[in-house]
Amino acid sequence: MFSAYFIHLLILVGIYVILAISLQLAVGFTGLLNLGHIAFYCVGAYTSALLALAGFPFWFAFLSAGIMAMLFGFLLSIPTNKLKGDYLALATLGFSFVIYAVALNWTGLTRGPLGLPGIPRPSLAGFVFSNNFSFLILTFVIGLISYLIIKRIIASPFGKVLEAVRDDELATKVLGKNTFKIKTYALGISAFFAGIAGSLYAHYITFIDPSSFTLLQLIPVLTIVIIGGLASLKGTVIASIILVLLPEPLRFIGFPSSIVGPARQIIYALLLLLILIYKPKGFSGKVKLE
Amino acid sequence: MFLQLLINGLIAGAIYALVASGFSLIYSICKFVHFAHGAVIAVAAYILYALFSLLGMNFWLAVILTIILISIFGSVMNLIYKQLRKRKASNVILLIASFALLILIESLILLFFGADVKTIGFIKIAKGLEILGAIITPLQIFIVISSFILFALLFFLMKRTKIGKAMRAVSDNKDVAEIVGISSERIYMWAFIIGSAIAGIGGILIALEQNLEPMMGTHLIIKGFTAAIIGGIGNIPGAILGAFLLGFSENFGIWFLPSGYKDAIAFVILFIFLLFRPQGILGIRKK
Repeated sequence: MFSAYFIHLLILVGIYVILAISLQLAVGFTGLLNLGHIAFYCVGAYTSALLALAGFPFWFAFLSAGIMAMLFGFLLSIPTNKLKGDYLALATLGFSFVIYAVALNWTGLTRGPLGLPGIPRPSLAGFVFSNNFSFLILTFVIGLISYLIIKRIIASPFGKVLEAVRDDELATKVLGKNTFKIKTYALGISAFFAGIAGSLYAHYITFIDPSSFTLLQLIPVLTIVIIGGLASLKGTVIASIILVLLPEPLRFIGFPSSIVGPARQIIYALLLLLILIYKPKGFSGKVKLE
Repeated sequence: MFLQLLINGLIAGAIYALVASGFSLIYSICKFVHFAHGAVIAVAAYILYALFSLLGMNFWLAVILTIILISIFGSVMNLIYKQLRKRKASNVILLIASFALLILIESLILLFFGADVKTIGFIKIAKGLEILGAIITPLQIFIVISSFILFALLFFLMKRTKIGKAMRAVSDNKDVAEIVGISSERIYMWAFIIGSAIAGIGGILIALEQNLEPMMGTHLIIKGFTAAIIGGIGNIPGAILGAFLLGFSENFGIWFLPSGYKDAIAFVILFIFLLFRPQGILGIRKK
């Protein structure tokens, strides 16, 4: 019924949805412009891959990926807690370069540029998600659970405090909230979901190397978050679906991949630029980027 | 060994300073992070490659043409930012836009020139001169000297000329500058033209020393903004100082760590500064 390629695309959509809604939690709901999101994705992918290759079961590797990414989220939060706007963006961007440099150079652990091949497909209770259709279902279920959890967080009193921190941090402090802790939790939760997205990616492609976690990977996610609209989860999901599928016709027209690759980036960058100029709130955004 | 690392640090510092000075100039006047400055440098390098290596133009003519073209390119970029400024975009929006521009331009370079590494064979690979056991090539000496001349010219421009004074006025307080009749949009345009010209000269020198590849702008601007933050963002002498500090610490860092960690060293320094002295070495903390 579904062609194999379409299933592949839908799996990518699922991974991007998790990445984008988790970034949305930090950027849109808490007002932390985190340009280091890909670093958490990277940490998750490597953690999961290394554990699975060492023989641990999938569910353990998968959860560890999230928790490890979360710890890195806490770690990043400590030095950047006082920073705002430009400075926060630069510091988080710097963080992602440090992670990239470590992934590339700690060859004893990550095999550096050679990457980690042969990551096993996930298996749960004896069932191996070896074909792509079953993997799509797994991705869909995990994506849905992530969406519901983040939605629940946002609707909770804690979520309201996050939005208060975004709108007026000082006032939130005056109300007796510990904004340091709140921002740390927000970044940690956001990182957790980026980590599990990384785990899914690693177990889907079955090969990872540092080149999957560069700045170029940030642009689509950031474009999705901004086009979908800040502080809008639904918008983010819809934007993920549209933006992942958008450049695909290029491939069907028959351009070689040496053109499709840069063309994809050009499409995303142009869209990002246009949306910032003409509709900086995105399509269903509730707040402005400050 | 020590002297060699010192010289390597000096060369790296000069290259970073070429990036950081233009970046910092634009930041100090327009007050936003212009990431695409890295792409401007890459474009300059590729224009030189196209004019000199592909079209076979006279080298010095190609250099002058590159600087003119890149200044125009910079001012076109300013027009895009102007659209955003007109709509009262915040700094963060400008930052993300510049990020998008960086990726856009680099992808265009990749599309037109391909991913393979290019070299400009103007200066034949000369045997390095040996100074007390350390090796430096004539080209590297040329880079260091011309960057120092450039910084002196920039200093003169900012301190002594009318346009420089107007720039500092806008940088200091845009509204007051406008009251006394300085058009801030005109000054922004000049900041981009001069900043891009510096980037162009930097791009030319870097193109002679290193290979050209589409992503070179990203690597350079990472170092450029790190240097600018270390020195005090928006402070041009600070940026130059920060650049040399960065060059030295990276090169001395390899004493302890594998050379692949160069980038990580830069960021550890960046973090230390953001944590303990976000205003940088020469910056003044604003209340």
